[in-house]
Amino acid sequence: MKKTVLGELEEMVLLIVAASTEDVYGVPVMEQLQQQTGRSFTISAVHTTLYRLEEKGFLRSSVGGATAERGGRSKRLFSLTTEGGRVLLEIQQMRTRLWGAIPQGKFQLLGL
Amino acid sequence: MGRKPTSPQSGRQLPPRWADRLLEWFVAPHLLDYVQGDLYETFHKQVIEIGPARARRAYIWAVLHCLTPFFAKRQKAEPSRIIDYKYPKPLLSNMLSNYLTIAFRNLWRHKAFTAINIVGLAVGLATCLLIVLFVLHELSYDRYHAHADRLYRVTLHGRVDAKDINLAYACGPTGQTLLQECPGVEAVTRLRREGAFLVKQGENIVKEENVSFVDSNFFSMFNFHMLKGSQTKVLTEPNTLVLTKTIAHKYFGQADPIGKTLSMGKLGLFRITGVCEDVPSNTHFHCDMFGSLLSVKTGNKWLASGAYTYIRLREGYSIQQVEGISRGFVSKYMASEIKEFFGMTLSEFLQKGNGFGFVFQPIKSIHLRSNLDDELEPNSDIKYVYIFSVIALFILLLACINFMNLSTVGSAGRSKEVGIRKVLGSVRKQLVSQFLTESVLLTFLALGLALGLVLFLLPGFNALAGKQFTLSAILNGKMLVGVVVACLVIGLLAGSYPAFVLSSFKPIMVLNGRMQVNLRSGWLRNALVTVQFVVSIGMMIATIVANQQLRFMQNKKVGFDKEQVLVLHDTHVLGPKLNAFRDELAKLSSVIQVSKAGFLPAGSSSQSVDGIQIQDGVRSGIYRTKSYYVDDDYLSTLGIRLAQGRNFSKAYPSDKSAVLLNEAAVREYGFKNSPIGKQLSTVGDGTEGSKQTYTVIGVVKDFHFESMHQRIAPLLLFYGGDNGQLALRIRTDDIPSLLSTIEQRWKAETDNPFAYSFLNERFNTMYQSDQRIGQLVSIFAGLAVVIACLGLFGLAAFTTHQRTKEIGVRKVLGASAASIITLLLTNYLKLIFIALLIASPIAGYIMSQWLRDFAYKIEVEWWFFALAGGLAVAVAVLTVSYQAIKAALMNPVKSLRTQ
Repeated sequence: MKKTVLGELEEMVLLIVAASTEDVYGVPVMEQLQQQTGRSFTISAVHTTLYRLEEKGFLRSSVGGATAERGGRSKRLFSLTTEGGRVLLEIQQMRTRLWGAIPQGKFQLLGL
Repeated sequence: MGRKPTSPQSGRQLPPRWADRLLEWFVAPHLLDYVQGDLYETFHKQVIEIGPARARRAYIWAVLHCLTPFFAKRQKAEPSRIIDYKYPKPLLSNMLSNYLTIAFRNLWRHKAFTAINIVGLAVGLATCLLIVLFVLHELSYDRYHAHADRLYRVTLHGRVDAKDINLAYACGPTGQTLLQECPGVEAVTRLRREGAFLVKQGENIVKEENVSFVDSNFFSMFNFHMLKGSQTKVLTEPNTLVLTKTIAHKYFGQADPIGKTLSMGKLGLFRITGVCEDVPSNTHFHCDMFGSLLSVKTGNKWLASGAYTYIRLREGYSIQQVEGISRGFVSKYMASEIKEFFGMTLSEFLQKGNGFGFVFQPIKSIHLRSNLDDELEPNSDIKYVYIFSVIALFILLLACINFMNLSTVGSAGRSKEVGIRKVLGSVRKQLVSQFLTESVLLTFLALGLALGLVLFLLPGFNALAGKQFTLSAILNGKMLVGVVVACLVIGLLAGSYPAFVLSSFKPIMVLNGRMQVNLRSGWLRNALVTVQFVVSIGMMIATIVANQQLRFMQNKKVGFDKEQVLVLHDTHVLGPKLNAFRDELAKLSSVIQVSKAGFLPAGSSSQSVDGIQIQDGVRSGIYRTKSYYVDDDYLSTLGIRLAQGRNFSKAYPSDKSAVLLNEAAVREYGFKNSPIGKQLSTVGDGTEGSKQTYTVIGVVKDFHFESMHQRIAPLLLFYGGDNGQLALRIRTDDIPSLLSTIEQRWKAETDNPFAYSFLNERFNTMYQSDQRIGQLVSIFAGLAVVIACLGLFGLAAFTTHQRTKEIGVRKVLGASAASIITLLLTNYLKLIFIALLIASPIAGYIMSQWLRDFAYKIEVEWWFFALAGGLAVAVAVLTVSYQAIKAALMNPVKSLRTQ
């Protein structure tokens, strides 16, 4: 996987999938996104992102059960792959490094 | 898409159907379920949270967001994720070969149907191809010259004595003056015709019609490639000659003609300095021999010399500039000559409404748009290009309609096949491809046949259209590509209706045995049949009108007796021996009278136009009038009668200065009482010496000395007799032996070729182009009718077949055969009647426009329409009745047992 660069949305979706205890599909991901960010997302955006992450090898998917609400249509359930976990860790480490590089007292100077 | 029926609890609210459909259509199948499921889930949650109306709106919004390429992209053959397709998709080439096999089997099974279909389309295509050849050739005239778009012909237009002058040539000095004075003129070249020449080579004398005299730069202006001799130097000296390849071969065979000589009539010996390619057929003039212009007298008077003048415009200059400069020529150069010839100053001349001007014609438009006096060759008319294009379009339309109708009808019997195919898993796309393949295959079979037909018909068509098309004209790359593409389009268009209608059948309906409603109502088919008959009836009306007019022109009393008049050509070669020869002929028993008749009505004869001044005491005016020079036997030989006065006679020596008028001239000159004894004089070339005064001694009844396109013009007959031709009034049933007798006498006098014609034939050839149009229109009308009938036949076969059961029931219930035939026929007769109603006003209008070209014409009468309608009905009845009678006579037991 050359393309390990993740966009913001991709990263968030990946984190949401990682955070869930079981396999998730589009709707819960979208709801979580909305809750966490306060912004609204469309199903199409979420699906596009999920499929892209699967293509990159960070997620794997399986077909899940249908419900009446869904008009009998099955779900596509996603779960995190080892590769996905690794990439999340890498991002976190990078962030930590970057945080560590901020000089002490900088934020106080800015009045935060 | 294993969609289970929705459970009752979620049946309360559903998202908008159209948005759903849009989604189902747009999103790739392998993604659809999950996306749609998620959308539904959200929707149901939102119904509770924000209410159904807003939920719907949100749903639509969400669906619209899904319309991205990501969702549209269908999955490639990557079997890991799809469950829907268990089988690999067959390759296109495999499917195509399957389609073709099935198509061939189907066509073969319905041989008669296929044959009708192919023949109809082939006839249409062949006609269309021929017309396209014709039209393209007409449009290609003079386009092949280098810089053709910068080549112009200078023509002279003017108005003298209330008569318009529109000449195809310009004054002799025009070209040189333009070259000197207009910076925009790059080159000028001139061409002159001096009539036919008797060309002598050794002992042989041959008459050559197409001889021109041209400037030395002629060949660098026009692209006639030089095969021998230098392009720029061939015609720089007097009495030099360039031959075309064909003519060079005719005179010199394989030998090299350069340096050899030919004797050209009165102009003496010419040395051949070059050989050029034959002038292409799409040129507005055709020459076999080009002499140098220096060999003939050209004159340098503006008003008394002329040459066909061509200029090449310099790049970046506009023709308007040149035209502007040329307007100054009248006052600059012509004023003095106007004084000389008309005896008045330029301002007086202009005040009387007279004037001269030059018009510059783009060379490419000469053939189709120029109709001036003294054209090098009779030109065609853009009108014919339009007429034939429209006819081609119509015929093609007819053939396509036919094809469509028959294909639809032919495939209707295959609804069961469609049903089975669908049940076995055929996708709609495959069915559509199947039907389209069949119709394209059919089109190409028809194309093959059409090409064969064209090959077969080409000689006949060439004769009719006056062209020389060869096979290569059709089989060249561009044409062939165009034809193939056109056929493909026709096949796809014509096949699209049956393809889409049939493939939309619901298998359950078809297999249940319920026939499709949309095929039975068939308003489209009825409309198409009506259109076909509108076209055929319209063309029939056109044919009737054209033929009536032609017959009218040939049978109208022309004012002289054109039967049994033999005309001998080129009699001037006999010189002083002519009179003796004439007297000798007059002694023959079957020759009644002989007259020197260089001037004759119809066909190529001498022409003369004079300015005539009337001396009436009260007023004087100048009229440009056509004039004939005749001898005293002329009137009686041709059977022209006198209205007043007397004929010329040898008994009156003063008849040298006598003149006969025709009735039109009497009216034109405004003689109140008898014109006999009145004086008139010719203006000549303006000098006193050339003016001559004549006394009117008689008036001849009007006779048609020009074609019936024009009113009979004023005409003067002077006493003189022109040696150019001899007219013989003959009375014999054995014309060949008379001809051979005359030919023997001729040969005894001279070596020149013996040429003759008959006056009535010459008269008919005047209407050759009209006749040609008439013939073509009738042929096309015939074709249109044939195509329409083929269609009708197929259609009738189908509908009768469809109504087999109905007819059986009717017969069982006691209907007679006659009543059943009527039942089947009325349907079509109704359509034909409607077609007649539509076609009559259109055809009537168009043909009355056509008739406006004739000064003497027939009226468009009601029975033309009735006849066309009657013919259409008769043909249709004949076509349909075979089917109808067969159906009506069928034993009901048989017909009811079907199905």
